[in-house]
Amino acid sequence: MSGVKLESIVKTYGALQVVHGIDLEVLEKEFVVLVGPSGCGKSTTLRMIAGLEEISGGQLTIDGRMMNRVAPKDRDVAMVFQNYALYPHLNVAENIAFGLRIRKESNAAVDAAVAEVSGILGLTDYLDRRPADLSGGQRQRVAMGRAIVRRPKVFLFDEPLSNLDAKLRTQMRAEIKRLHKRLGATSIYVTHDQVEAMTLADRIVVMQDGRIEQVGTPMELFLNPANSFVAGFLGAPPMNQIEAVIGEGADAPMAEFAGGKIALPKLPGLQNAVGREVIVGIRPEYAQIATAPAEGVVDCDLDLVETLGSEALLHMSIHGKPFVIRTETLGQVAELEHVTGFSAAPDLIKVFDANTGVALSGQMRVA
Amino acid sequence: MTASDQDITDASDEAVGKSAPHIYAPTRKERIIDHLRNEWQIYVMLIPTVIWLLVFLYKPMYGLQIAFKDYSIFRGVAASPWIGLEHFETLFGSDQFLRALRNTIYISLYSLLIGFPVPILLALMFNEVLNPLFKKSAQTIVYLPHFISTVIIAGIVITAFSPSAGIVNTVIGWFGYDPIYFLTKPEWFRPIFIGTTIWQEAGFQSIVYLAAIAGVSPTLYESAVVDGASRWQMMWKITIPSILPTIIIMLIIRIGNMLEVSFEMIIVLYQPATYETADVVNTYIYRQGLQNGQYDIAAAAGLFNAVVAFVLVMAANTISKRYSRTSLW
Amino acid sequence: MANMNLYSRGDKTFVIINMVLIGIFTLSTLYPFIYITALSFSSGFAATAGKVVLTPVERTAEAYNYILSDRMFWVSYGNTFIYTIGGTLMSLAFLIPGAYALSRPQLYGRRFWNLMVAFTMWFNAGLIPFFLNMRDLGLLDSYFGIIIGFAVNGFNLILLRNFFEGVPRSFEEAARMDGANDFQVLWKVYVPLAKPAIATVALFCMVSRWNGFFWAMVLLQDQDKIPLQVYLRHTIATLSDDPEFTATQLNASYSFETVSAAIIVCSIIPVLIIYPFIQKYFEKGILMGGVKE
Repeated sequence: MSGVKLESIVKTYGALQVVHGIDLEVLEKEFVVLVGPSGCGKSTTLRMIAGLEEISGGQLTIDGRMMNRVAPKDRDVAMVFQNYALYPHLNVAENIAFGLRIRKESNAAVDAAVAEVSGILGLTDYLDRRPADLSGGQRQRVAMGRAIVRRPKVFLFDEPLSNLDAKLRTQMRAEIKRLHKRLGATSIYVTHDQVEAMTLADRIVVMQDGRIEQVGTPMELFLNPANSFVAGFLGAPPMNQIEAVIGEGADAPMAEFAGGKIALPKLPGLQNAVGREVIVGIRPEYAQIATAPAEGVVDCDLDLVETLGSEALLHMSIHGKPFVIRTETLGQVAELEHVTGFSAAPDLIKVFDANTGVALSGQMRVA
Repeated sequence: MTASDQDITDASDEAVGKSAPHIYAPTRKERIIDHLRNEWQIYVMLIPTVIWLLVFLYKPMYGLQIAFKDYSIFRGVAASPWIGLEHFETLFGSDQFLRALRNTIYISLYSLLIGFPVPILLALMFNEVLNPLFKKSAQTIVYLPHFISTVIIAGIVITAFSPSAGIVNTVIGWFGYDPIYFLTKPEWFRPIFIGTTIWQEAGFQSIVYLAAIAGVSPTLYESAVVDGASRWQMMWKITIPSILPTIIIMLIIRIGNMLEVSFEMIIVLYQPATYETADVVNTYIYRQGLQNGQYDIAAAAGLFNAVVAFVLVMAANTISKRYSRTSLW
Repeated sequence: MANMNLYSRGDKTFVIINMVLIGIFTLSTLYPFIYITALSFSSGFAATAGKVVLTPVERTAEAYNYILSDRMFWVSYGNTFIYTIGGTLMSLAFLIPGAYALSRPQLYGRRFWNLMVAFTMWFNAGLIPFFLNMRDLGLLDSYFGIIIGFAVNGFNLILLRNFFEGVPRSFEEAARMDGANDFQVLWKVYVPLAKPAIATVALFCMVSRWNGFFWAMVLLQDQDKIPLQVYLRHTIATLSDDPEFTATQLNASYSFETVSAAIIVCSIIPVLIIYPFIQKYFEKGILMGGVKE
């Protein structure tokens, strides 16, 4: 059972506390992504798991063994660094073999391991090259090779794709996913890029200000964000959030805001809650465009249409507040210029408490 | 858990306190043990250098107390009796020391006034050279003297200024004048010494300014060319203002290190006939201490020199810190 | 840049005047070396009569014969090599690990240790206490004394430390995760990475060792241990008074001047040989160590 367990993990620098008691259990073979804005403590948490930062408090267990005071090299974890940290004076084969050589493995074992790993990663033709002579994607592969070759219990990735251009990043993302399927090793991956988190993760951990905001599968987090921060962080463009007040509705609760009102789902927290301040969350994908005023349509001004090909982003404003709609272009390109409002199915609307940001809505079914 | 342990773990205790009691937070002792177990090797790496510094640089600072003692070799540093400021009184009543002090100040000031602008000028001129091969070879040649020993430079000076054989007097002879015994004439010593140090160091010192010039964004020049500026105008309006911070910092450093007169060269070049203008504090210390064996009084002169230098360096560092917002060290 | 047609007439004049001035300065730097070389190959008579200007007059290698047959020349030359090579290796043995340790953020008391180094650059006990200390340590008249006594230098230490600090920390961390201890991290990762900086420091050490003369003169009484520079100084100081020279000056094939010149040429040659390497590294080195000269 090579799971990783964090219990009340705390990191302090002098008087400054940057990680405030993280509880997380990563199961064996699971791919968990820590995501959050910069400075949220995700890298610090990863580095504590690696042993590169001392754990100020709490308990770290890997494979059932308490690791707080174990040196990095004895934790049986491997890490892929943001800048790869490839040794420029060594060629690809020597870079991959570095850890095995330090551990004084036999030449035959090293050669076999290097051959196997370079085969898996498609580096066989580049073994004699120095890192300086490799492309960004190849360097990235060598960095992974250096981690894989030791067959560690746990892989740690610290923003490994952030130095690549957009196209390569997409490609390498798929490769990491494939590699994980093939090797099935427990992996913890840190990124600030929510797309990477969504595409790679078995489970995502969203962090902010040294705390975990929510843990769950990508779809759980996308459909049922626990709070307005998670809602705004996952998904691109982010979920529209409108400050509103609960008003009287005929048969369903209504949210009233400057410039319109919209029907909300019938949630327990919204019954008899007239006057309660809430945030109404509507994903750009879940808003339906309207070209004429009608019942249930919120009127807005169209500021700008960004056509992306199969889809378009409509930048609207409701009484001066921005609102983004993502919609198909097929068959309605001409109409897009004449959008005057939107509607949204109550079931697809999220509601958050305006003060705490906590979600009021019930669970949306993931499947 | 002791009081100090409490301090260290306060922050984590606070967070951990609410959780289950088995949750672990390292004590100060454990943290030190872990640190030493993981990192003891960097201390092993540091120790030789620290010991060296203590033995060869800090122990002599302890030995400086002989400046206030009646030192004798047989009694040693610690056992020699204290005599207070007597050596300093002797020094400041000694014409020789005051002369050395005066000479040090004159030589430093003249070196600064004449020597400081030369490397800047050189760098600006190098920057205007268009032919890269010419530039590279000229630079190679003007950097060279820096790497030549002061004794050799002094040897070249002695040979070149020799009354019978030296090239300088040969040239003077062409114009029908009598040879001058340059190195025995006090009035010639400073021009020769300062000229020599500039000749030796100016090229090398220009490197810093060349680097500063290289850091100027080429787009500034390109837009100036588009605006029709001449090279002369670009030098004055772009290059010089851009490297002004470097010039100021170098000036501050120079002033801070002013007392570091190249006394090695003076020792080779001077002779009793030119002491009047050539003898500086360090050569005075050398003669009094190492040649005449008056260690204590020479140490007192050295201490005086070191304290003045220290004050100058610290002042320079403070000013440049304020100016550049980065420390020089 | 090189297209002169783009320049106005004023610019062309400016560029040409500038080139002439640079040329003059460069030649004035070069000339003393040419003059000394010419002198060393001239006859003593020609030298003393002031006939040598640019090329050897009455070409002869007598001055070289004189010094090359002087045992002290060879002894001091050999000593200089011992001090240069031994001193440089000794310096590196201290500086590399020391600078690495000082560059590590995890080092306890790092500020204190760094201040301890920096202070030696601001305050110096001076000639006399240093000399007495060397005497008390029994390091007078000893090869080891010269080699160890000047091994560490604050400027070089800080230069190297700054370089190590500039290497991304992830190199250390990656090697740590791979199982390397600090010695292995330094030796297998940081030393190869720092080759240019180490080469720079090694060259600085070599040049200062090769050229150093004051302390060798003060600390070494035994003539069989003195380096070339001290021998040269000795020659300059004594030959001019030597009756052999003054008496036979007029028709001698060598003179005080030609002999000095020959020693100077011999001691410059090794510097010239490594000068291309020095040039490759020192510019970088100067800038790496901050802006200190």
